[in-house]
Amino acid sequence: MAVIEARGLGKTYDGKAAVDDLSFEVQPGSVTGFLGPNGAGKSTTMRLMLGLDRGAGTTTFDGVPFTALHRPMHHVGALLEAKPFHPTRKARNHLRMLAVASGIPTRRVDEVLEQLGLTAVARKRPKTFSLGMGQRLGLAAALLGDPHTLILDEPANGLDPQGIQWIRELLKGFAASGRSVFVSSHLLSEMALMADQLVVIGRGRLIASGPIQDFVKTSRRNAVLVRSPQAGELADLVRAQGATVEPVEPGLLSVVGLEPQAIGDLAFDASIRLHELAPRVATLEEAFLEATGAAQEFEAHGVATTPDGSGVSRRSQARSSTTEGEARSSTTEGPDEEGDA
Amino acid sequence: MIDALRYEWMRIVTIRSTYWLTGLALAFALAVAVAVSWGFASEIGDPGGPSDLDISELGPWLGTQFARGGAPHFLGFLLAMVGILAWGHEYRHGMVRATLTTLSSRTTVWAAKYLVVVVWVAVAVTACFFAAIFVGWLFLRDYAVDLVNAGTYEAWGRTVLYTVLLACLAMAFTGLVRNQTAALVLLFLWPLAIENVITLIFFLVPGLRDHSDLTRFLPFSAGGRIHNDSVFSAGDTLFGNPMTWVGGAVIFGGLTLALMVASLAWFRTRDA
Repeated sequence: MAVIEARGLGKTYDGKAAVDDLSFEVQPGSVTGFLGPNGAGKSTTMRLMLGLDRGAGTTTFDGVPFTALHRPMHHVGALLEAKPFHPTRKARNHLRMLAVASGIPTRRVDEVLEQLGLTAVARKRPKTFSLGMGQRLGLAAALLGDPHTLILDEPANGLDPQGIQWIRELLKGFAASGRSVFVSSHLLSEMALMADQLVVIGRGRLIASGPIQDFVKTSRRNAVLVRSPQAGELADLVRAQGATVEPVEPGLLSVVGLEPQAIGDLAFDASIRLHELAPRVATLEEAFLEATGAAQEFEAHGVATTPDGSGVSRRSQARSSTTEGEARSSTTEGPDEEGDA
Repeated sequence: MIDALRYEWMRIVTIRSTYWLTGLALAFALAVAVAVSWGFASEIGDPGGPSDLDISELGPWLGTQFARGGAPHFLGFLLAMVGILAWGHEYRHGMVRATLTTLSSRTTVWAAKYLVVVVWVAVAVTACFFAAIFVGWLFLRDYAVDLVNAGTYEAWGRTVLYTVLLACLAMAFTGLVRNQTAALVLLFLWPLAIENVITLIFFLVPGLRDHSDLTRFLPFSAGGRIHNDSVFSAGDTLFGNPMTWVGGAVIFGGLTLALMVASLAWFRTRDA
C-alpha cells in the first residue's frame, strides 16, 4: 500500500519550465485525479515520477524511487502512451515479453487478457486495434504485475461509454482494496465520478491539491439562488453583509458569500418574502475552468458571443479569467466581470 | 541482468522483422553459394576455368559471399538491420517507456540489448557461412576441392567479428539519433557512397592526391580489411598499406566502441 510522494519536481525545455517545483502526495485507498489544461505538464510530471524524463525533484513509492524498485511492474503499473506496443507484435506476446522480465507466469498474462476483454484478440497484431483496444492492452500491461500503484495518463481516451464505465469501476475497485491510483483525464465529468482526491496543475505549477469536494467548494460558481418579489431590497441587505449579488432575471438573485440559512434569516428579519431559496453547487468542470483559466498554455482564439451580441476573443476571456484566478478567494466580483467575458 | 536478457530475447523472437531479415540473409548466402558452386563445378578443369589458388580459397569465398575477395558483405548489412530495429522500435513505437517501466536500470537494458543482438547475429552469420559451404560441397563433392580448411575457419571467425562489429555500430548510431530510418540510410550510404566520394575527392584533387593512401583509414575501408586481408591482398603491417585485418579491426572496432560508449552515456542521461 504505497504512498506516492512527489517533491520539487521540475523540468525545463529550452529554458522554459514545463514543470516547476511541483510537490504533492497520493494516498493509498484513493483515486487521485490529475488535472490540468493541455500543456500544463501532466504527462511530463508522470514521466518524471517514473524516472523516464530527467529533471529536478524526487518521487518515491513508499519511500523508494521508481528506478530503485526491483521488478517495478510488481509495484507500479503505468500507462503513459496511447499505444505503447509494437504494432506487429501479437498482443499476448507483448504481455509475455513484459511478464518474462518480471518473473510473472504466462497464466497471469492470460488472466489480464481475460480481465481486459482481450482474449479474442490475444493472438492478433495490435496494428489492427482501435484506440480503445490499444488502451485496454496498455492497461493490461499496467495490471500485469498486480501492482499496488497505478499511474495512468488519459486511460479513458478512445474508450466507448461502456469502456469508460468499466475503467471507472476497475479503478475504484483497485483503490477500494487499499491501493493507489494516480490518473489524469480530460473527462472532468468522469473524473468527478471516479476521483476522491485531486491534484490540479497549470503551467507546470500546483494550483490545488486535496479532496475533490474541497476543490469544488472553493468555486465562486457555488451560489444561492433566491427568488423574491422584493429582490431589490434583499440585494441591498445581502450586499451589506459582504456577499456578492448577481441579478439573474427579474425577481431572481444569485448570491455568493452567504449560506442559504443566513439569507433566509436576513429576509425573515427584514420581512422580505421569499419564493425560492436554493443552493447551486458548482460542477467539477466549472471549478476546474475557474481555477485554471489563468494557467492555459495553449488556448483557442475563436470568437465568443457576449450577452449583448458582440464578439470578443477567447484571449480576452483568458485575461479576465486571470483576474478571477488570482482573486479566487475573494467573493466580491460581480456580474460585470462575467459581462466582460 | 537475467531479467533484461529474458526481455530482450522475448523481444527479438516475437517480432517478424527478425525472421525476415535473418531469412533473407540465409537466402542470399544460399543463392550466391548455388550460383558460384554451379559455375565452379562446370568450369573446373577447363583451360580458362578457376585456378588452383581460386579453388583453395573457395571455402572462405563461399562462406563470406566473396567479401573475402573484396565485395561488400551484403549479408552483414542485412543482419545489422536486426540491430537497428532493436533500438529503432524502442523510439519509433514508444516502446522505450514500456521497456523502462519494466526494467528500471538503463545500463542493464542497454547491455542486454547488445548482448542478445550480438548472439543472434553471430549465430545467424555462422549458419549462413556453413550453409553456403554445404551448398558448395553438394556441387563440388566429386572434385578435389577442400572447402573446409584452416583458411575457412579463419574467414568464419573474421566474418563473425565483422558482422558483430557492424551490427553494434548500427545499434550505437540508432541509439544516438533515435531514428531508425536515418540509421538505415546511413548504414548503406556511409560505406557505399560517402567513403567512395571521399576516396574520389582524394584521387581528383591535386593537393590531396599525394595523400590518397590515407583513405585506407576510413572506417568501412578499414573494416573491409577484416574480410579481404587474404592471399590476394595480403596486409603489409598493422596499419600499413594495405593494413592487416587486425589493423582494420582496431579502426572499425574503435569507432564502434566509441559510438557505443557515447550511446550508453546518452541513453543513461536523456529523456526516454
